[in-house]
Amino acid sequence: MIEVRNLTFSYGKDKQALHGLNFTVKDGEIFGFLGPNGSGKSTTQKILTGILKGHGGEALLFGKDLREVHTQEFFQKIGVLFEFPYLYANLSALDNLHYFSSFYPKEQLRDAEEVLEELEFKKDFFKKPVSSYSKGMRQRVSMARALISNPKLLFLDEPTSGLDPTGAVLFRRIIEKERQKGTTVFVTTHNMLDADLLCDRVAFISNGNIVALDTPGNLKEQNSNHSIAVCYLYQGRRKKQTMKAPELKSGIPFPYDKLLSIHSQEPTLEDIFIQYAGRRLS
Amino acid sequence: MWNNNKENSDHTCMNRCLTRKTSETQSSWKSLSSLFKKDCRMMVSGKFFLVALGSLLLYTLFIHFGYLNFMGDNANIYNVYLYDPAEIYTQTSPLIHSVASAKELDEALARDTSGGVGIHIKDGKPDIVLYAGTEKVDRHRADYALSLLHSTSGYQPETVGSNTPEMKQRREITCELLFIEIVAVGFLGIASVLFKEKQMGVIRVHAIMPFSKSLFVFSKVLLFLLTDLIFAALMTLFNVGLKEAAGILPAVLIQTGILSLIMALTGFGCTMLLKDFKQFSLAYLVIALFTATPVFLSANTAIKMDWIYYHPFYHVYMGLKNAFFSMPVTNPVYYISAVCVIILLFGIATTAFHKEMGKEG
Repeated sequence: MIEVRNLTFSYGKDKQALHGLNFTVKDGEIFGFLGPNGSGKSTTQKILTGILKGHGGEALLFGKDLREVHTQEFFQKIGVLFEFPYLYANLSALDNLHYFSSFYPKEQLRDAEEVLEELEFKKDFFKKPVSSYSKGMRQRVSMARALISNPKLLFLDEPTSGLDPTGAVLFRRIIEKERQKGTTVFVTTHNMLDADLLCDRVAFISNGNIVALDTPGNLKEQNSNHSIAVCYLYQGRRKKQTMKAPELKSGIPFPYDKLLSIHSQEPTLEDIFIQYAGRRLS
Repeated sequence: MWNNNKENSDHTCMNRCLTRKTSETQSSWKSLSSLFKKDCRMMVSGKFFLVALGSLLLYTLFIHFGYLNFMGDNANIYNVYLYDPAEIYTQTSPLIHSVASAKELDEALARDTSGGVGIHIKDGKPDIVLYAGTEKVDRHRADYALSLLHSTSGYQPETVGSNTPEMKQRREITCELLFIEIVAVGFLGIASVLFKEKQMGVIRVHAIMPFSKSLFVFSKVLLFLLTDLIFAALMTLFNVGLKEAAGILPAVLIQTGILSLIMALTGFGCTMLLKDFKQFSLAYLVIALFTATPVFLSANTAIKMDWIYYHPFYHVYMGLKNAFFSMPVTNPVYYISAVCVIILLFGIATTAFHKEMGKEG
């Protein structure tokens, strides 16, 4: 679906934003692009969605060079959720969706109300102006706008931003559902939980370079010290011991009265990112 | 056989191309209609039409009950200066000021701020000297000056040329207010609508919508053009009168169209390039002070500015004024230049729009 080879981009003479990125995104894959603010992830997404022009290197989308595919036909195939919920504040959710969907062929469109209902958007607000919505509600309408045209390739920039935990779970479920339909999803985020729970593969980007690319599981395994922390009570005192996983093969190797908990010391994606990039995600 | 196959394949290819073109055209019309409807809603919610209607009423009331009442009595009072070296005209009106030389005549006209008229008798014939900017439209002043020269021959200045003094004033003030409305109010109107869209960030969303991006610019400009044309038509009908308006309306609408397109595209470009409405207000002040003011001064007063001929707005304003006085511009260079400027501004506005779409949130 997406093939990027030696992708470079510069905002000016001394503002090189991307330094030769290489990655591929397979059909039906959820691909995560993780990086802190200013790392180049939004620039990459803007290039891939045709908003930014003048890149170096090669990028193929739908099997065609990016420089040739930015036609109406290309835009009909993609859906984009922007970092901020950009909507007409004086129009209602339905009016916004009807307006933005009017640029697509009728036969590829989903029903606006149906999409909003899927996103658990309150029915009472369907016809109220966006200016009266909370941030989470706006994010839901923005997501509906990205989904309404049944895109083959979905670009999501910080999809769960502004959502409460229930909303975030719902969004992850919907993204997974899209993937099951065959949609390829390119997620740009600095939320490592989203990346961990959603993505088949993730790429870490730092200062315009991809510093690591693999499945979240592999990354964690490769960077794990395979240790386990055991909390227990012994002679009336609470204690904690950390040991390597193989040491547990023949049971707990020390005396204890009561086991309280056993924790895997597997690193989070954020820990791994710091290892690779030397800086935090957010 | 091979040729047949090739012909068939060429045919299929041509049909496919035609079908694609037709569907693209249909899709463009559909997109333009969506953009246009949305722009109308934005303007309704921004109360732009209400402001335009209010302006129309205010201007009309001002012209009917204010301007004509206050200025009516002074309609035909201009200073008339006569330089008659051979002293051919001896029985002139006492309202005429005689001067001793051509230089003195020139100085008197330069000093006069009330629209004075000069008469230079050359080879026994009166040569009317007006400030260059008003030459075409001021047959009334010329006729008034000649009436004073022939004051003993029963020349009646009540109806001069094809205009009564009141009609002349109606046309003049309608033209001036229309110019102000388009330059100032229309220009600010497009900015207020666009800044709202800019603040809401929705301009960026249009970057990934499947339509030609120039349609976004086109739709906005089209809406402002139509609004200005309707405004100009109503303003002319209400203030010049139905009968008189019928004769001048086509020319007035053409000039309004040129001015409206230039202002809407300039407003669009400025809105895209400038950060916020504060910066835009400053730019607007510059435009109003340094662009429109010299044009008004030059075209309506005796202040002389030699460089004014290089000022593009001067020609557009004079084009509008001449249209109001049934003397439309016929010089093709003017129209070709106007079209070139509009195309150039459209290109700048579209480029600025693309730049805005690529900006960070």
